Amino acid sequence: MKYLWVGLMVIFAACKPSAEEVTVYTSVDQVFSEPVLKDFERETGIRVKAVYDTEETKSTGVMNRLIAEKDNPQCDVFWSGDPIRNGVLQSKDITEPYQSAQTGQIPDYFKEPDNQWIGFSARARVLIYNKNLIAPDSLPNSVFDFTKSRFKGKFAIANPLFGTTTFHMAAIYTALGDEKGKAWMNGLKTNGVVIAASNGDVKKRVMNGELAFGLTDTDDAFEAKKETDDVDYIFLDQQNGGIGTLIMPNAVSFIKNAPHAENGKKLIDYLLSRETEAKLAISCAQIPLIQGTEVPDDVPSLDDIQPMKVDYQKTSDKLEEIQPWLKIWTEE
Amino acid sequence: MDRRVSTHIIRIVPLSLLFIVLVLPLMLLLFQWLTDTDRTVLLSFTDQKTLLLIGKSLWMSFTAALLATCIGTICGFLLYKLKIPYSGFYKLALLLPLLISPYIFAVAWKDGLFWLLGNSAAVYSEAGVITVHAFVFFPLAMLITGSALSQVHAGYEEAGLMVVSVRRMVLKIIFPLIRPALTTSFLLILIFSLSDFSVPAFFGVRTFTTEIFTQFSALYDFPMAIGQSVLLLLVCLLLMLTEHRYLSDAPFFSVSTKGSVSKKYNVQKRQMLWHGIFWLLLIVVLLIPVFILTVQSLTGKTLFFARAWELVWPAAVQSVKLAVAGALLTTVIGLWVAYEKERRAHQFPNVLLLLTFIVPSTVLGIALIRYYNLPLLNFIYGTSLILLIIYVGKFGFITSRIIGNNIKQIPVSLGEAASVIGIPSKRIFLKILLPLMIPSLFTAFVLSFILCLGELGATVMVYPPGMELMPVKTFTISANAPQALTSSMTLINMGLTMLLILLFFIIGKWVFKKYQYA
Repeated sequence: MKYLWVGLMVIFAACKPSAEEVTVYTSVDQVFSEPVLKDFERETGIRVKAVYDTEETKSTGVMNRLIAEKDNPQCDVFWSGDPIRNGVLQSKDITEPYQSAQTGQIPDYFKEPDNQWIGFSARARVLIYNKNLIAPDSLPNSVFDFTKSRFKGKFAIANPLFGTTTFHMAAIYTALGDEKGKAWMNGLKTNGVVIAASNGDVKKRVMNGELAFGLTDTDDAFEAKKETDDVDYIFLDQQNGGIGTLIMPNAVSFIKNAPHAENGKKLIDYLLSRETEAKLAISCAQIPLIQGTEVPDDVPSLDDIQPMKVDYQKTSDKLEEIQPWLKIWTEE
Repeated sequence: MDRRVSTHIIRIVPLSLLFIVLVLPLMLLLFQWLTDTDRTVLLSFTDQKTLLLIGKSLWMSFTAALLATCIGTICGFLLYKLKIPYSGFYKLALLLPLLISPYIFAVAWKDGLFWLLGNSAAVYSEAGVITVHAFVFFPLAMLITGSALSQVHAGYEEAGLMVVSVRRMVLKIIFPLIRPALTTSFLLILIFSLSDFSVPAFFGVRTFTTEIFTQFSALYDFPMAIGQSVLLLLVCLLLMLTEHRYLSDAPFFSVSTKGSVSKKYNVQKRQMLWHGIFWLLLIVVLLIPVFILTVQSLTGKTLFFARAWELVWPAAVQSVKLAVAGALLTTVIGLWVAYEKERRAHQFPNVLLLLTFIVPSTVLGIALIRYYNLPLLNFIYGTSLILLIIYVGKFGFITSRIIGNNIKQIPVSLGEAASVIGIPSKRIFLKILLPLMIPSLFTAFVLSFILCLGELGATVMVYPPGMELMPVKTFTISANAPQALTSSMTLINMGLTMLLILLFFIIGKWVFKKYQYA
């Protein structure tokens, strides 16, 4: 009988969440997110239990896990590389509003109105190109130039069903309207666009010299530049009257019924701080959203970029609407 | 009476545990899907397009499995039946492609072709997927058929050779004797190929598995994804049951290693040819990807080996401990299931393991989360136990088939003779059967160790927060890390796994020697 009691005590000890820990699920690449979480651990003494996933695997692990765990959440904080996934979780009633003290520093534009998700450090969509294959003055200036015959078969985009590419396509659809959006995407296909597995794959194919250029995110382009001198990147649609480049913030959400609510909130406060934005600017060239954050010289500033005017909620709705069509476009 | 009670306990208790721990979660998920889902959705996945896609996926996986089984069987035959110098080296080296994840292999192989030919457009096709799957999975066939070949009784071969040629003896005696191993290899590879998402997705080839993945990950349409998974499961089940009914269980000679060793043939002629074949294969399946990984590791702007080691080491220790525990558990459960099936005609545990084996990883992960994610069961869900359950579910069937094929080849008369003279059944099992099963137990252990160490699909769904595991870490780090760092990590993973396998082989050799005349 005493063994039974010992066994039960061990089980209950294992079940009871430890006070000084926080569980975070993140789809931000581990190579960038882990150092930030380690710093939080070091500075606060709160142990971070992280589950990492990546956009390369389409965040299947953390997203499906969060949805399946809805009735008994294990996670306190969800840190995503873009707001789309947070929007999905919000629609499934998995997130809860949290008004962080840091939220005031972030422009309203990058927040969900009820604080179901809050944006910080952003990435932008850029054109990465191989300098050996195409001269900078021959590059397209706009995503709409991609349909010109001189670029036939020379460029790639990632699978538009996943990650930031989905959001980019939805944003273009929202800006152009359905008909023009479809015509543009069909034009890409006619012009021999290569559909890569992911943004990382686009980067790699351009680096290897398999393709002249492609659409990817600033962090991929920044990493590529660190690896080789053969590539560079530019922002598209920066001309007068251009639609601008898409800016996608990281997004953090507080999970409803989080087991370590207080520590979860502390972690959100930490992620939304100026210091974290500065760290992400150094490690992966993410663009700080808090004005006055110090960044290295090679990191672009929001002041120097003409951003695409995006209503994140409308774009998320558009995304849901066009996804069946995107699926057909990808498969046919 | 006591003996009957204990027999029932041995049968009922593990069976109930297996059912409650592993199968009930899947049944509950299926029940929930059937009751909660709209009737129109329930049938929407059975349209013509879906069926055509299943057909396409099946022929691709069929071709890959056929190719892999042929290559694996030829290698198995040459290495296990012929006396070829350095066969130990070839056996080990040809196992290595199994240690590289299919995705990494596909990337390295594509980069290798681009480096060699300046163009790799051709690999972005069905042919590319089939080739990569055949190259990655053929070591499975080599290991399984090799293990079966090494157990063929020399007496049958010698008797055959007295009246027919070597070629005819191989075709008419050896191959029929190893038929269960051949069909097992073929079907395991078929199912592995069918359920792999990473390679077709990388090469931009649409298969039924990528379709399920899209439903899960892009559209978050669980009912549709689970419906399609059920369809895939039914197809796999049909294949496995056909094989079970008409091929593997067809009557064949019982042979044993007892008192004799398997015959090995001297080949003085054509030594160069055999070595040439092995080296060609090694260049294509191992040296090209390893060379590319090495080049990528060394040609970055910075050397990343130290950083890679720092990242891999903590995860490697944890992963190895878990893989050893997982391999031991799956081997023990595989032994019990195989024994029940082959010696007690009790098929049910085998069917349960078959079911969990063919369920797509994501579905298994979701079923386990929904079942175990309760405060009371946190000691399972929040710890390594959940991973051990995954390992048994994913690989228990493989170990049971490998061990089952061995049990089939041990004459029942051995046990019966011992029983007649009054030796208790427990002692017969421990002193007669178990020593005779050592080669297959060893094969099952090594294979499940490799598979547990590399399991990603379901692991990434359920691994406890804060735990570091080698395949998860390599994959999540590889997403945006410099190519040199990712390649360095892959090479370190390979090196570590190879060292451990080498260690297992040394221990195995010692054990085989000890029980050679058991």
